[in-house]
Amino acid sequence: MSDTTLIILLSTITTGLMLGLIFSLVAVGVTIIYGSIWMPNAANGQFFLLAALFAWSTSVSWGLQPALAALLVIGSSVPLSYALEILLVRRFYDVPNRNISYFVLTLGITQILSGIFSITYGVWSDQFQLPPLVPGVTMLGPFPIANNRLAAMLIAAVLLAILFALLRFHRYGRALRAVFQNRDAAALRGVNVRGIYRMSFVLGNAVIFAGGVLFACAYSFDLTIAWTMAITAFAIMIIGGPGSVLGALVIGIVFGLTQAVASIFASPTIAAFAYLGAMLIILLFRPSGLFAR
Amino acid sequence: MQKGYKILATGCALALALSTTALAHEPVKVGFVTELTGPWSFFGTSCIAGLKLAERHLNPAGERKIEFEVVDDQTKSDHALAAARNLDVQSKVIALSGPTSSDTALAINGYAEQNRVPFIVPVAAFPQLTKPGTHYTFRIEPDAAGWGYAIAQFVAKRKPSAKIALVYSDFALMRAIAAGLKYSAPKVGLKIEPEIVFPQGTSDATVQAAQVRAAHPDYVVVIGAGGFDNTLTNELLDIGIKPDQIIHPYGITTQVLNWGQRSVGSYYGTFFDANLDKLTAEGKQFVDQFRTQNGRPPSYIENYCYTTAYIIREAIDKNPSAADDREKFRDAISALKTKEPTSGIPIVFDKNGARKEYMYFMQIKDVQKTDYKSKQVFYIDWNPEAIPVYDLVK
Repeated sequence: MSDTTLIILLSTITTGLMLGLIFSLVAVGVTIIYGSIWMPNAANGQFFLLAALFAWSTSVSWGLQPALAALLVIGSSVPLSYALEILLVRRFYDVPNRNISYFVLTLGITQILSGIFSITYGVWSDQFQLPPLVPGVTMLGPFPIANNRLAAMLIAAVLLAILFALLRFHRYGRALRAVFQNRDAAALRGVNVRGIYRMSFVLGNAVIFAGGVLFACAYSFDLTIAWTMAITAFAIMIIGGPGSVLGALVIGIVFGLTQAVASIFASPTIAAFAYLGAMLIILLFRPSGLFAR
Repeated sequence: MQKGYKILATGCALALALSTTALAHEPVKVGFVTELTGPWSFFGTSCIAGLKLAERHLNPAGERKIEFEVVDDQTKSDHALAAARNLDVQSKVIALSGPTSSDTALAINGYAEQNRVPFIVPVAAFPQLTKPGTHYTFRIEPDAAGWGYAIAQFVAKRKPSAKIALVYSDFALMRAIAAGLKYSAPKVGLKIEPEIVFPQGTSDATVQAAQVRAAHPDYVVVIGAGGFDNTLTNELLDIGIKPDQIIHPYGITTQVLNWGQRSVGSYYGTFFDANLDKLTAEGKQFVDQFRTQNGRPPSYIENYCYTTAYIIREAIDKNPSAADDREKFRDAISALKTKEPTSGIPIVFDKNGARKEYMYFMQIKDVQKTDYKSKQVFYIDWNPEAIPVYDLVK
């Protein structure tokens, strides 16, 4: 295999994995919240952007080390989520058909955050870039990959593995999955359903924040990224099966790889629509998603 | 009876004189519809920063005062249109100006042409704004297809028969630049290969950067939008494209600062830059004042909005009756033969309101956190119809 072919092959694989892992993180965050409290979080893209912008402020404006800034931002999602849960989210727990109420609520949050970003960050710059998490380039054979991107990819993979282990083996994870499957039965078995709701909202948002921070470490971004990510996360959740963490994880990576492969054999434009086309076809045969129980 | 007529005539004359005097003391109002919020807010607020600097010196004592009524269009065409209508009907402005986005400018352009309101576009490069038959719209920024023409001339001068890789985002502005380059390149012996278009919302270009490298181009013309512009540039550099192979059709301050030190050696096109060889004394003052106020040097966006204010001042000074009559104001702008106060570049509009076009190419020499150094390496000016811009971009 020639160097040129190898470079294109390796760039396709790394791009697919990089995008796929970020997509998975955000989709897992969205699906944890949806599976638990039936909230289709339309504001996930704005939360993702909020994390990226916070990371930019803390590392560029405050001058913090990017790794420290990343930890601070992900940590800040916890009190923010708690505050939102107390002020808004918990008021709808007993509302019938609350998913519609939540959708409208999160659309409102989206509009508010979008407006705030446009009169603050939007005025400061038209593009944002974090200092590198790890400077330099690593050679994978003939293919040079930025260490920064490699680090973001590894961290995303480790976070997803921890998350998966937490949900599968930890007591909280088992309780969460019980609530996903049947909240009344879970309550009868002594699970604190409201407590699980609260924890799910906090955990889901922390995962979305992690996705935003890692994306900002790997790529330059602007305010439009929120919409792209919101649509992609929903598409992944729907194909994977709403409430299925495994579905979000697998389909996220498949999406990333599909985009990378389609962009080289067809064009980047076709790649951008390929996954939406795939979503429609899959939904024709499996309306409840590939991994739905 | 005759005495009565005399009194009436005197009264009328007095009333006319008084109203004329009152009018002469009333400020001339210009509607400035721009993007203060929404996706284009950075450009709108940068434009206003340039305009505010001009306003400091715009109204010397004894001259008719010019006032700008600034309205936010939220980067939405329907809002821009509503604002234009309101400024026309309610505020009765003498002219409209302000947009920094081609989409909002096109919305106002339709209204201005239909309702005969002079419209001076500071920063919008879509060619159709001054399509043949345009009468009331005047565009200060050269049209985007022309930028492609300028890039072809620049590359041909540096390396005849060069091979260019063209990578761009799928936005109207970028398509127009690409159309101009694709039309002009073969005429000066350049080859374009590969050509890669990225849809809106793309965030990664590693695979395409590898494809570009595999094609072994002499130059890569990079036309990304927003944050993706910087990602694309970084990924090309990561994969081994040299900085001096990269040409950006345009570079505003935030872009150059984000491209950073690793882009030293790259080229970018511009219409005004703090590092131009020949800035006027006023241009140097403009740069210094802007830097002091905003913590960064200005780019062509701020300069064009600064210049817009001076064009309006000069048109009214040369033809005072234009201050109260839109047709006369339009004629005064159309007949204007002046220079940019900051760089001395001529401003002359053709019959469609397009300006005689020009472009500088700069090479980045050093980039710091809030400032950069670049060197002017090429200058070109041309007639707007040197290429069939209105056929290339519909």
